[in-house]
Amino acid sequence: MTTDVSKVQVPVNVPGFDGAMVAALSVGEPALLSAARAAALEKYRSLPMPSRRDEEWKRTEPDLFPFDRVKPLPLLPREEAPVDDWNDKFDVVVHVRSKGYSIRDVSGVLAAGGVKVLSFAEAARDMGDAFAQYLQGHAQRVGAGKFDALGDACWNVGLFVQVPPRCVLERGILIRYEHDEDLSVLVPRLVIVVGEGAQAAVAEQMVSPDGKTLMVLPSKEIYIGEKGNLKLVSLQEWGDDTYHISSDWAVVSRDAQLDWATVNLGGKVCKMVFGSDGAGQGARSELHGLYFATGEQHMDQRTLQVHSAPDTYSNLLYKGAVLDRAHSVYQGLIIARKGAIRVDAYQKNNNLVLSDGARADSLPGLEIDADDLKCSHGSTIGNLDEDEVFYLRSRGLSDAQARKMLITGFFEQTLEKVPFEFIKEYARERIEAKMGRLMGV
Amino acid sequence: METSDTQNIVSDEYKYGFVTDIESDTVPKGLNEDVIRLISHKKGEPEWMLDWRLKAYRRWLKMKEPHWAHFTYSPIDYQDIRYFSAPRGAGGAPGVVDEKLQETFERLGIPLHERNRLEGVAVDAVFDSVSVATTHKKMLADLGIVFCSFSEAVREHPDLVKKYVGTVVPYTDNFYAALNSAVFTDGSFCYVPKGVRCPVELSTYFRINASETGQFERTLIIADEGAYVSYLEGCTAPLRDTNQLHAAVVELIALENAEIKYATVQNWYSGDKEGRGGIYNFVTKRGHCRGKHSHISWTQVEAGAAITWKYPSCILEGDYSTGEFYSVALTNNRMKADTGTKMIHIGNHTKSTIVSKGISAGESDNTYRGMVQVLPTAKGCRNHSQCDSMLIGDKCEANTFPVVQAENSTAVIEHEATTSRISEEQLFYLKSRGITEEDAVSLVVNGFCKEVFKHLPLEFAVEAIKLLEMKLDKSIG
Repeated sequence: MTTDVSKVQVPVNVPGFDGAMVAALSVGEPALLSAARAAALEKYRSLPMPSRRDEEWKRTEPDLFPFDRVKPLPLLPREEAPVDDWNDKFDVVVHVRSKGYSIRDVSGVLAAGGVKVLSFAEAARDMGDAFAQYLQGHAQRVGAGKFDALGDACWNVGLFVQVPPRCVLERGILIRYEHDEDLSVLVPRLVIVVGEGAQAAVAEQMVSPDGKTLMVLPSKEIYIGEKGNLKLVSLQEWGDDTYHISSDWAVVSRDAQLDWATVNLGGKVCKMVFGSDGAGQGARSELHGLYFATGEQHMDQRTLQVHSAPDTYSNLLYKGAVLDRAHSVYQGLIIARKGAIRVDAYQKNNNLVLSDGARADSLPGLEIDADDLKCSHGSTIGNLDEDEVFYLRSRGLSDAQARKMLITGFFEQTLEKVPFEFIKEYARERIEAKMGRLMGV
Repeated sequence: METSDTQNIVSDEYKYGFVTDIESDTVPKGLNEDVIRLISHKKGEPEWMLDWRLKAYRRWLKMKEPHWAHFTYSPIDYQDIRYFSAPRGAGGAPGVVDEKLQETFERLGIPLHERNRLEGVAVDAVFDSVSVATTHKKMLADLGIVFCSFSEAVREHPDLVKKYVGTVVPYTDNFYAALNSAVFTDGSFCYVPKGVRCPVELSTYFRINASETGQFERTLIIADEGAYVSYLEGCTAPLRDTNQLHAAVVELIALENAEIKYATVQNWYSGDKEGRGGIYNFVTKRGHCRGKHSHISWTQVEAGAAITWKYPSCILEGDYSTGEFYSVALTNNRMKADTGTKMIHIGNHTKSTIVSKGISAGESDNTYRGMVQVLPTAKGCRNHSQCDSMLIGDKCEANTFPVVQAENSTAVIEHEATTSRISEEQLFYLKSRGITEEDAVSLVVNGFCKEVFKHLPLEFAVEAIKLLEMKLDKSIG
């Protein structure tokens, strides 16, 4: 009969990311890292390039990314820490830029010992096998594919953050990505380990200039030990021609808690995966997301709420708005694995489609393999309530002011989950600016 | 009988598992252009129908069997199926039904005699591949309603068939629709003329009897402007160790102000506890609301078949048209059901409602898969979906995979889904009132499905409740 199209897919590699590149990145590296790269390279070579025939890539075709125009950056060297407005607000400030990375020990926690922020090479040298266990990468993720393996094989900057057991990191850590070298690809890899009973807050910020064609393929692995607690905010405000493919994965141990807020405002085409795994009994994940796409922006976000252990809890709320000709995709999945009883999981996705020509897709999903649990999801798509607009206008607000106020209110529910007060305020301003420019207020 | 062992074990669970020993006229196994020509010839079809079948067959050869589903099943050998089987004598004098056949349908509770007028249901019964009798013909004919077997429609009303067949589900649509278009043997045809409200429920009963046959029926229902019709469909098959394929196509067309209600109670043989045998139910059902203010409603109770792939959908093209989908899917033992709907909003101010209730027991796998799409030019559309799953037992799986796609700013779409275990508290409450555990489960399940059952005609609703009770028997504890 006919040939099976899915089987004739040749595992084509992304231009520039190949064995030669991995070899160049491995020069002078500890054996631990080069071995991990080699294993990931094998995996990467064996996997087919995703195509629109894959359910996950159906709404964000791989062709949207300018792979043939961009070149990967070499391994980033350490450089002098630049001046930063937010310096005094954190214990540690990390910068990852196109030319190099820097670590600034603002409050002296690093010097005092205990808390570690190291490059992968340093971590491999100092810690050996104690570090190797955190390099599982794509192996532990659900539905990992070509780009996960690519990130594991070809990262050009690797950072390891460790908060020791029972340590309470008062002000937290800022990791800022500033990518600005035209036509280049940044592949940062981040591992965060929060020890038993430790508490930490981490903020990530992603910025790049408008008008430059840039690509970023970040990946993040998070491990929270027993009774540990991590508050995380990922603020993505790339420039208007930046392309982003990422895959993040958090493993939450027994009685530990993850609070994760994601704010997506920038970039041209973004394809992101945020996953959390309730791996130990009583683990809790609070996942809150906000996305606002305007102009020609395309944002595709996939969330995975995995429940591998009994009595685990997850609550997810993703709120998004699309304006102009923007297109947003939300794909969510709750997975309750065999034996994960008494799981309580909720997933909610609300979308505002603010203008004709804009499009929002919502694909919530439940995959339940256990009984005795409670999983549900809700999803809505609609425009602003005209009665509410009318009410505000009857109080003297202009049409644009009324709409702006309602959109702000819509996002507020997610914004209030952002852990740092000043970042919350900053994000509000950014959303306002984005609305103001486009709604003529 | 080769199935006696199986029958003993599960006979009280599936009482329709008997085989009628009837002489039948079959074609040899296998599929090629000659078989299609033979089927077409046996049915005395005109040239255009044969051409259409052959085009579909050639297209099918180029298509790929879909394998995207959540589960695997043993491959189907399309050359090992008999594509035509008719009870001998079925083509005889109209109105005369073979006694044995009559008996079979009596046993199944299907009245074929005109004297059963009181039942208020006109029945077309399909046995293996051929439609054997259509009741209430005269009364319907007086109203101008055409309700007959598909083959008869091809002969008697070629213009109507030619005009509408394949316009909702073209043979290029998917693998099984193409296969059906090439080899379909019979099915029901219904045309309700302008402004006529069909006074009785129309019904078709499908029965697979012969072994190693596939059933490929095709149903086409057209409600002309302002017409109304309510249609019921039921299905059973004997117990057999081997899997049998059922790949049907149903097309509904509602013109301006017309309304079609389509209800299915599907109870194909679902295989035994170890998952041997059972029907592969790969069906394409689609309704097209062509005219303004037209309405199509699907109601289904899916309680049988080893594997079900079924997505009764609505294309809402006419402005202000509405589509509804109410479904109860019950899986037990090793059954796998992947069912749901598609609501495609093309016209302005179109509305759709989806209510899906899944119940999984045993080691079964129950999936809701659906899509709601609002096209960029469709203004003021509205959808509400509710998908609930109930788990009975700890080895079953329940999945929900909806897709919601809004392509303009005036659409309002809501989707809700829940999955939970059957409530211990509710069971405890009922048991404390002296109700047995099995009855308690049955009550809870009935309450869970109420929203769907209320859309079934009364007799069917009673039947459906009994069916679920029977299917869930022995799955508790």
